[in-house]
Amino acid sequence: MSPSPRKEGGPRGTLLVPLLAIGAVGTALAFLPSFVSSPYALHLMVLFFLSVVMGSAWNLLGGYGGQYSVGHAAYFGVGAYTVLILLQYRQLAPWWGLLPALALSVLLALVIGSITFRLRGPYFVLASIAMAEIVRLAALNWKDLTNGAEGILVSDIPPLVLGGKVVTNFTSKVPFYYAGLALAVAVVLVALWVERSKLGYYLQAIREDQDAANSLGIPLTLYKNVALVLSALFTAWAGALFALYVGFIDPATAIGLDISVQIVLVAIIGGIGTILGPVVGAAVLVALSEALRSNLVTDLLVKGGVVSESSRFGVFLRENLAHAHMLIYGLLVALVILFMPEGVLGALRSFARRRKRAVAAETSP
Amino acid sequence: MSPVLEVRHVSKFFGGLAANSDVSFQVEKGTVTGLIGPNGAGKTTLFNCITGYYPPSRGEVIFKGQRMNGLTPDKVCMLGMARTWQKVRPLAKLTVLDNVMVGALARTGSLRVAREVAREQLQVVKMEHKAGSLAGGLPIGERKKLEVARVLATGPELLLLDEVMGGLNPAESEEIIGLILDIRKHGLTQMVIEHDMKAIMRISDRIVVLSSGEKLAEGLPQDIVANPAVIAAYLGEAVA
Repeated sequence: MSPSPRKEGGPRGTLLVPLLAIGAVGTALAFLPSFVSSPYALHLMVLFFLSVVMGSAWNLLGGYGGQYSVGHAAYFGVGAYTVLILLQYRQLAPWWGLLPALALSVLLALVIGSITFRLRGPYFVLASIAMAEIVRLAALNWKDLTNGAEGILVSDIPPLVLGGKVVTNFTSKVPFYYAGLALAVAVVLVALWVERSKLGYYLQAIREDQDAANSLGIPLTLYKNVALVLSALFTAWAGALFALYVGFIDPATAIGLDISVQIVLVAIIGGIGTILGPVVGAAVLVALSEALRSNLVTDLLVKGGVVSESSRFGVFLRENLAHAHMLIYGLLVALVILFMPEGVLGALRSFARRRKRAVAAETSP
Repeated sequence: MSPVLEVRHVSKFFGGLAANSDVSFQVEKGTVTGLIGPNGAGKTTLFNCITGYYPPSRGEVIFKGQRMNGLTPDKVCMLGMARTWQKVRPLAKLTVLDNVMVGALARTGSLRVAREVAREQLQVVKMEHKAGSLAGGLPIGERKKLEVARVLATGPELLLLDEVMGGLNPAESEEIIGLILDIRKHGLTQMVIEHDMKAIMRISDRIVVLSSGEKLAEGLPQDIVANPAVIAAYLGEAVA
């Protein structure tokens, strides 16, 4: 779970490479829908983009600032609910509804931050969980506004018209694909900027040692709140997009502890405190959860001859593995913490370093 | 000339325990003031009161004519008073250069400027060859020097060093003594907590002695070592 050490490098040379890489990958992904028409593939990509956004947003506060919030579902839920309530009950188009949604998430972040940032370590974690639960219970019980446990079902998204021309009417997955891609690229760029700014240095100093950071002139609460606001903003944005994409939210799916945990997992499994970590984590988690949901794991075990289809164990797996995703996530986190404390990305990097060293040792006499 | 730092009747109570009681002294510009006393005399507590980690229970801390009571440590640092920690606090996962840059960023928003300042300060403590190493992997002697470079980078007018020689071997201590005298030559005011009497005699212009939270004596180094009360409380204990 510990963040990877950052490399020292010149300011200009190192910025060009990641910018080019992001540009290249972003452009390539922008052309993907022209070649791939499978709705299932596009669906997976939308989920991937949303995970990248949530993981990267969490990483700003948790990975760089060391403040492990397990209550980011609160911001996700506020984004989702605000946009859908305004769309469904006030007929406000979602691109306008997004503005109050983001504003509300920032406001909520400042309120939650002012309460929870007094606490450190595990106490902060517990308080962040409690805050998200308060938001969830509010959504559950404030029935006039949120329709309570029944949730909100979107009947219709108005077509997006720009300059008299219909850009999209949101009937396919393609507009969501592009919205997700744009948001994912934006959040990665913001993370890149944060890492190479005073903000990033100060957040890392706070993560490493709050008292030392404070003695070096860093106002702790201010910088923690700046990170939280940025983080909450993008999380709420992802929530809004998710709600529109799925077309239905209720308190459990939009503000549940599941969401908070999944957001943290994306960052932890990939590698916290790095730009690429949440991207890798998102790929791993989306692939894994799809494999579990579609019983791919059981199929593979059967085909590989590990378990027989008709045995009691095989039947048991087929019936239950798909529902056990939280259990598998838990095991995965335990494994990552035990064997890859710097996440998948960190493990790959140290593996590459070891290989390089081994090769160097072989070639030198 | 008015003093840089004035400690006026400062007391600090933890429950019923007086960690500092009615301590007063002044620190003149450009001097090195040694703060000594047996274990538990309240030296670090006094540093914490001066730098904003604890609010003093009574009394005032005046820095450059300004009352510091109630200011948070970051504001104290921005006003020009910087401290190191008895137990060093390196930002372990950051490189040595990045550690010092964090200090330098107190005075600039530009990473480029901060990087330059940081390189200069690493030269001052003779650690420029370690710029790319992770701070968490340094041996204790270099951690202490990094601590000094990092506070120097915040551009202080008064430096409070809390046992920078603690746990060092004689050669490393000698290096730190040279560093303190070097810093003094540049006109920076310093307050130094130290256990090693020989070292404190060499670097201090004046010495303040604390014992059981109270100021026992204050004066020139040669007067302090000759003071019977100090010998009884401090040196006497060491011999016994």
